[in-house]
Amino acid sequence: MSKRKPPEKKAKSAPSEATMKANRKITKSSTAEYFSKNLQQVGFSSPTKAVLTTLKEAVDNSLDACEDAGILPNLIIKVEKLGAGTLKNTDQIRIEVEDNGPGIDPEDAPKVFGEYLASSKFGRGRCSRGQQGIGISAATTWAQQTTATGAKVTTKTKGMRKAQYFFIDVDLKNNKGRVRERQTVEWDKPHGTKVSFLIDGRIQLNGEAGLYSFLNGNILVNPHMTLTYHLPDEAPVTIERVSDDVPTAPKPVQPHPQTMQLGDFLQHASIFGGDMVGNWLKKGFSRINEGTIAELIKEHKVEKKLFEKRLNSLSESELKSIYGGLQNAKLMAPSTQSVLSIGEKALAKSIRRLGQIDFISVHTRKPTICDYKPMQVEVAIARLAGKATDSDEPVTVLRFANRVPLQFDKASCAIVKALQTVNWRTYGLKQPKGSIPCGPFIVAVSVVSPFIKFKNASKETIDASDELVEELRRGMINAGQKLSKHLRREIKARELGEKISHIEQFAPILVEILCRITKATKIRKEKAEQGLLKILEKDTKLAKSQLADAATRLEQYIGDDLDGIKGLFEGQEDRYGEQGELIPEDGIIEGIADDDSSLEVVDIESEAPKKSGKKKKGQKSSQAPKKGPKKASEPAKVAEKSKKTEKNLKPAPEKIKPKAKPKSKPKDKPKASKTKKKGAK
Amino acid sequence: MARSRVAKSGEDAIPKISKALCETMLSDLERATRPVLRATKCSLDNSIYTFGRGFFIAGDKKVATELNVSSVKKMSRAIFILEILLRNIETGAVNTKRELYYMAKGEVKHHKELRPLDFTDQNESDAVIDFICEMIECYREDMNCYANDRGGQTFSQQLVVEETMPDGSIATVDLSKLGTSPFQPKNRPQNLKLKAKKPIDFCLIIESEGTANTLVANGMCKRNNCIVIGSGGVPSNAVRGWVKRIQDQLDVPLFFFGDLDAYTMQNIFRTLKAGSAASLIRNEDYSAPKVKFLGVLPEDIKRYDLADYVVQQGDAGDERALKKARDVLKNDPFFQDKKNKDLAEILNWLIKEKRRCEQQAFFTVDPRDPTMPEQIILEKIKKKRYI
Repeated sequence: MSKRKPPEKKAKSAPSEATMKANRKITKSSTAEYFSKNLQQVGFSSPTKAVLTTLKEAVDNSLDACEDAGILPNLIIKVEKLGAGTLKNTDQIRIEVEDNGPGIDPEDAPKVFGEYLASSKFGRGRCSRGQQGIGISAATTWAQQTTATGAKVTTKTKGMRKAQYFFIDVDLKNNKGRVRERQTVEWDKPHGTKVSFLIDGRIQLNGEAGLYSFLNGNILVNPHMTLTYHLPDEAPVTIERVSDDVPTAPKPVQPHPQTMQLGDFLQHASIFGGDMVGNWLKKGFSRINEGTIAELIKEHKVEKKLFEKRLNSLSESELKSIYGGLQNAKLMAPSTQSVLSIGEKALAKSIRRLGQIDFISVHTRKPTICDYKPMQVEVAIARLAGKATDSDEPVTVLRFANRVPLQFDKASCAIVKALQTVNWRTYGLKQPKGSIPCGPFIVAVSVVSPFIKFKNASKETIDASDELVEELRRGMINAGQKLSKHLRREIKARELGEKISHIEQFAPILVEILCRITKATKIRKEKAEQGLLKILEKDTKLAKSQLADAATRLEQYIGDDLDGIKGLFEGQEDRYGEQGELIPEDGIIEGIADDDSSLEVVDIESEAPKKSGKKKKGQKSSQAPKKGPKKASEPAKVAEKSKKTEKNLKPAPEKIKPKAKPKSKPKDKPKASKTKKKGAK
Repeated sequence: MARSRVAKSGEDAIPKISKALCETMLSDLERATRPVLRATKCSLDNSIYTFGRGFFIAGDKKVATELNVSSVKKMSRAIFILEILLRNIETGAVNTKRELYYMAKGEVKHHKELRPLDFTDQNESDAVIDFICEMIECYREDMNCYANDRGGQTFSQQLVVEETMPDGSIATVDLSKLGTSPFQPKNRPQNLKLKAKKPIDFCLIIESEGTANTLVANGMCKRNNCIVIGSGGVPSNAVRGWVKRIQDQLDVPLFFFGDLDAYTMQNIFRTLKAGSAASLIRNEDYSAPKVKFLGVLPEDIKRYDLADYVVQQGDAGDERALKKARDVLKNDPFFQDKKNKDLAEILNWLIKEKRRCEQQAFFTVDPRDPTMPEQIILEKIKKKRYI
């Protein structure tokens, strides 16, 4: 007898068939919809970050646009608080960024500000700030969601007589920029773009995640930028540019086959369509030549006939076999030409815009390959003047990726990890075990690469791969060695100064007590004093000359006007070949680049004349005429200036203009003799 | 009273030598010649040890300080402190090093022209005082400068101490009449005269004062005719002079009982027995070469199944201890002397076995018998298990 199955029990609240069908239906949402629901992934995770991200995206776009057009950027930033926000604990904030860039073609404005993944930079293999075309559209979305507005854009290109004003928001369903309002308006600028967002957010001025830190970062890594900013309750500040050179965007290089995944490789093939396979490989990739093809045939068993076929006639398996062969082929490392560094000279000049600084050590590593991607690391260490050197406060770390300041998620960043693993005690800095060093220093570290591996879409922190951390460490060690050299010289100068004062202080006491113990007469005392003076005169002379020498070395390279460093960098910008190898003056490539030919010591305190450091191979004579450095004997001025810098490294509010180059500098006697006399009385 | 060679040459020898030194310096200055101060080099590389003599003496090496920009501060400070010390000798005043530090600060306070000489901490003035003593080759005590009394708590039922007071009167201290209180030797034990009411069988110097107190409290001095001294770690001048006094005046066997490690071997036992490199000029009166090392010996660990422990690899303190043992064998003339081979062997054992044992480990043998450590010590003495 067969058992009967018990009837299936239905749950009391089971959904109906129709509901279940509806639940199972696969829906498709647009990119804009996705990001509008996940704005925290692109930097809008808190009211404070929303303000900073909005500003950052607008500034990045402006700077990229200016650089692309070869324009020296003049940026005006306004951040205003208008009242209470709609979200809890927020304010309504207007953020406006105006530039003198080339302007946006009116047809493109809705795409730029209202369409996700619409970018002129995506996948071009360049070191631009923006890459994917997400950030500014996300800012528009945030404005749309919090204040029911969008982006207000005024733009004018060179050929236009009047500017175009747009009020744009995002059509979230279709991922399109929607023009709500468009007007032709008068604008006295020849060209440029002004974008304004009204958002809910919270303004944080100080601290690592503050607006000052963001502005300082941008000031540091953009020496060619003039920036005016208006912050709430603060007077407007203008920081003048210190370099008239617009960074030349390096040519994008063709992809390296060994940095591509199979999908990318197949996609790349589809772009070239009917080209011959051999041509495609040689033209569409870097580091592939006839020799590579021969190697593929001979050693990796790729059929020879494949290279004579047209690309669109190859099957997927044939393309895969070529891809597989390329992955095992002995190819040269990817080119480092595509990296765009700030440069030691510019970095050294720029860092001084952050406040009163009495020492700078800058080191630019030569471009290298990290994780199979071209990469360049630059490290600048600056000491803030007038602050206790034995401070227990951690150093101020400024992190940059492709010249964009990174302000969040510091702990897991490759830069911080590298900073913690360097033994800074060796270089004269305090450092708790396994932590970042302490002292009144700014450590600015910049990583430039067309392919930086960020940990998240909001590009807040760089992924800490072993190779990158090691490369960063080396840059830091190079800069640290220069710092240590400088500190040692300072100590030596101080010790010598002490010795001179010893002679003046102790000699009379010695004679006095000796005479008391021996009950010597006044005549003997006078005679002994004269004898002592004779003995010590010789010592004093020696110590003074050593002191002058030490002071001169401390004064190397730079005065207040920074002209002193010029000679050091002449001809250095283009001294690396495609592989990052050093190209000496005679054009013959040698094996190893000279890493030590960079800026070493900057000191603006004392009066001794500048003196160049060791001349290295491949470096032109650095004895360019220099202007006399700033007088050190202005402690009041220095103290006043250093006070100004104390508020979390607020950029100096006064206008700083580059000083005129001196025509010549007489090779006069060291002014340090004045300094000596102070101590010598 | 034992005094330095310099002091022995006459009551006013030190003032005379000091003044002559100053006179030479002044004459040099008058002739525009650089004065030079020469002091005995007090370091192991200038220490000479022979088993026959039994203690370290200074070699020929001198530290010469010539007047120049670098040394003018040191020289001025030396002459400044010397003046204060000479004043003390003249008036008979005595001071500790700390007091001298404050006196120097006081001089600076009241005489502004001396301000450059000011000391920022006591180490600076201590170094100057030591330099003066090395220069004149006298004891600090000869300069009327005394350290704080530390260590040396002594217990005995037989020992009687006679102390000659400054006024010439004699004070007699019968240690058996002090109850549970110990006798504390002074920094200058040389003016003490020792007598024994009954023959004393041995004198035991224990590294830990606490352990010495425990043994006495458990009746060791009642059951034995002995002297028990707590060294209190590295023996102070008082302890060293006191043990030397016992050795010279009572002629009793002396035994040292301490931890089995390199620090105890060198810093404590060797200092007690042969003096130290830092005190080369005073070792003659502050060493007791007849002291024997009773333990803890490596063989005791096995014999009594003592609780020892392995030196931890990676532990900074333990690694320092091992390094010290190696350094001692390499540099210390005392352990390099062939007649002290057995002591050097202990260090070799420590390096090889990487083990340590503390004196208190004797309490593990029978935790319920408080007299067990005493029994072991007596057995070791009886069976001559010492080095």
